Amino acid sequence: MRQATLLVCAWALAGAGAWGATLADLDRYEALLAKNADDIRAGSEYRQAVIQLKQYDRCIKFFEELVAKSPQAANAYLNFGFAYVDKIPDAGAITQVILANTALSHFSKSIELKPSWIALYTRGNSYLYWPKIFGKAPLGVKDLEEAMKMQKQDKLRPYHVRAYISLGDGYWKMDDVEKARAVWQEGAKLFPNEPRLKERLSRSGDELAKYIDETLDPNKRVDTNLHELWEDQ
Amino acid sequence: MSRRALWSAAALPALLLAWNGVAKIQFEEIAGPAGVQMTHTTRHFKGKSADVLRMFTSGGAAVAVGDFNNDGLDDLFVTDSDEGKLSKLYRNEGNWKFTEVGEAAGVAGGNDPLSIVADGLWFDYDNDGWQDLLVVRFGTPILYHNERNGKFKNVTAGSGFTTFGNSIAAVAFDYDRDGDLDVMLGHYFKAENLLDLKTPHVLPNDLDNAVNGGGVALWRNEGNGRFTDVTKEAGLAHHTGWTLDIGHGDFDNDGWQDFYLANDYGTDRIFFNNKNGTFRDATEKSLGFDTKKGMNVDVADYDNDGFLDIYVTNITDEYMKECNMLWHNNGDGTFTDLSKETGTCPTLWGWAAKFGDFDNDGWQDIFVVNGLRSAGKDNYIPVLVTMITTPGIDFTDVNNWPNIGNMTWSGYQRKKMFRNLGNQAFKEISAEAGVDNDLDGRGIGMGDFDNDGLLDFYQTNADQKSLLYRGRTQGAGNWVQMKLIGAKSNRDAIGARVTLTAGGLTQIREVNGGNGYAGQSSLRLHFGVGRAAKLDAVEIQWPSGLTEKVNLTVNKIHYVQEGKGVVPAWGPKK
Repeated sequence: MRQATLLVCAWALAGAGAWGATLADLDRYEALLAKNADDIRAGSEYRQAVIQLKQYDRCIKFFEELVAKSPQAANAYLNFGFAYVDKIPDAGAITQVILANTALSHFSKSIELKPSWIALYTRGNSYLYWPKIFGKAPLGVKDLEEAMKMQKQDKLRPYHVRAYISLGDGYWKMDDVEKARAVWQEGAKLFPNEPRLKERLSRSGDELAKYIDETLDPNKRVDTNLHELWEDQ
Repeated sequence: MSRRALWSAAALPALLLAWNGVAKIQFEEIAGPAGVQMTHTTRHFKGKSADVLRMFTSGGAAVAVGDFNNDGLDDLFVTDSDEGKLSKLYRNEGNWKFTEVGEAAGVAGGNDPLSIVADGLWFDYDNDGWQDLLVVRFGTPILYHNERNGKFKNVTAGSGFTTFGNSIAAVAFDYDRDGDLDVMLGHYFKAENLLDLKTPHVLPNDLDNAVNGGGVALWRNEGNGRFTDVTKEAGLAHHTGWTLDIGHGDFDNDGWQDFYLANDYGTDRIFFNNKNGTFRDATEKSLGFDTKKGMNVDVADYDNDGFLDIYVTNITDEYMKECNMLWHNNGDGTFTDLSKETGTCPTLWGWAAKFGDFDNDGWQDIFVVNGLRSAGKDNYIPVLVTMITTPGIDFTDVNNWPNIGNMTWSGYQRKKMFRNLGNQAFKEISAEAGVDNDLDGRGIGMGDFDNDGLLDFYQTNADQKSLLYRGRTQGAGNWVQMKLIGAKSNRDAIGARVTLTAGGLTQIREVNGGNGYAGQSSLRLHFGVGRAAKLDAVEIQWPSGLTEKVNLTVNKIHYVQEGKGVVPAWGPKK
């Protein structure tokens, strides 16, 4: 019983990303996912352990095999895409593009299988990291508008603030500053203490551009820990 | 008011400017009137890969500054690259007039159907006191001996330089301290002739960690006009990166020359001299491994702490955020990149960069050229990324790369000049300094072409006209210049270090043999000393090991011979 309690505590820490992972933990998570490929929580926690251990290629290979065995597991594809995102900060500038593009294709497959809020938000947000020159911001906005529709039909959840932030960023990237501010303001009414919205609303012009560019810098690690999803349950 | 008082009042603001180190750095572009404006042409290839190969070889616009006729005025050798095109040798006549004498001197050729001229290097390989010229090619290099009468003799056949390489960079330094200058060549592609392709697999195998480039070659000067390839025995054969530039210097203050390699598509390398004819790769300990696109290396002690630092340009643009690297030498064999902290990080698609004290305040500033290809309104990047993200694509195959046609790729970029504020911070001043042109820059050759104590520089551009910037800074500080002449050491004194103390500041300079991408600067050392009217101490450490102290005055060019101190100057032609 005591052993089981310790394991739960350790895994809870893993969910929060504050845990010293070992290779044995990767084995355990892989065994769990082999039993249930669609386990979004196990997939997320597995990847957090992978990030600590920098075992990105092992993780990508594992998910590649997992989705081959479970081709209908939408959340496996979602975590597969995130496995590529997790590797981006440790990669060179051009490899980052290749990883980001591959991640998008797996997010798309996840949406195709199950158009969930998290999958739409994730793909929409991912498009925003691409420089303007690639013209992906409208694609991101489309996904984020869809995610926004979904969340408005749901009860308000803490993670819904993310869609307000990203959709505003998307409009900003499409040079529609007014629309961007309106979405951020709408979000701020629902989440008045949210610092990321306050930061955006307190800036304008070059200062805002610098802030968003820094936020969407592919060299910075994106927090891909999905713990907010089940902490809310 | 007396005439003297009037003079003092008029002079005061300028003096104060110099004293406070706030002189406004300014340059004037005068390539046309000076007679040195040349439009470079990159090589046109034949066949279906022509467009892609031309894009990949869009370097080759280089300048080498050197006084080939010993008249006390630095001259310019400027390369061209298209088939049959002639490189230029501009003889400095003084008063900002140059005469083109390349063909008459016999150094203009080299762009034959199977070779591309890519760089030039002045060095006195036979220690006769006259600058010889190495023309670096995608092909075999050409070595010209200076016949002392304005003409050069092609001595390649007897020199040993007969190995084919896609050479893009060259430096000369005395790695074994035997008193003559050795040559290191940086090769970009592996040794396949791009003008006679036998395989399409000639491009990088990875765009962040490529290991199928040309590496480097070290040629030891045997002292009899011959050079021997000692790459393998020096421990350098394992390096197979895409070398774009080489920067040498004594990084650990042990009296022996070390070097840094800027590699495109992946990890730069630093090698320390083992003092026994070999080098050790200290990259992991000294720098760590990077994945950036190294383009240029220049070496200087930017913070005047007595250790040589290294500046490397990379690519920082909308679609690629690499940042340059200003490697601060920690003095213990390690370096810390302070480009972000110092404000020298973003220079777009960087090429050459050079340190120089443009306002003579005792702190070395930086000029960076940039820009890959300025053409039509369509952008090549989305087209390129479509190829890059194609699953399973083989980057090495030249046939897989899309043609660029008339598309622009990181073009129309404004050059960057960073003023050294002396407190580990630089300020970008290119517009106010008058150097923010938007041409597709490649090389920078720095010197004081009119011997007025202000640094000037020549900028080469790919497929565009070159520029000559004359230093015009008003109220700059005092200065001193030294042309060192080796005796037991190599005659060019490459590798000699001068430590100068004036006005409470101690600075070091080393004579270098061609540091910086596509641009060799003057062999003459230039120091700004701010308001100091006298020099407290000047010490020279010669490559031979001799340490010599000399007494020099400010605002003068001094000639110093090893073991003899100050010697008479060569006078410029009237």
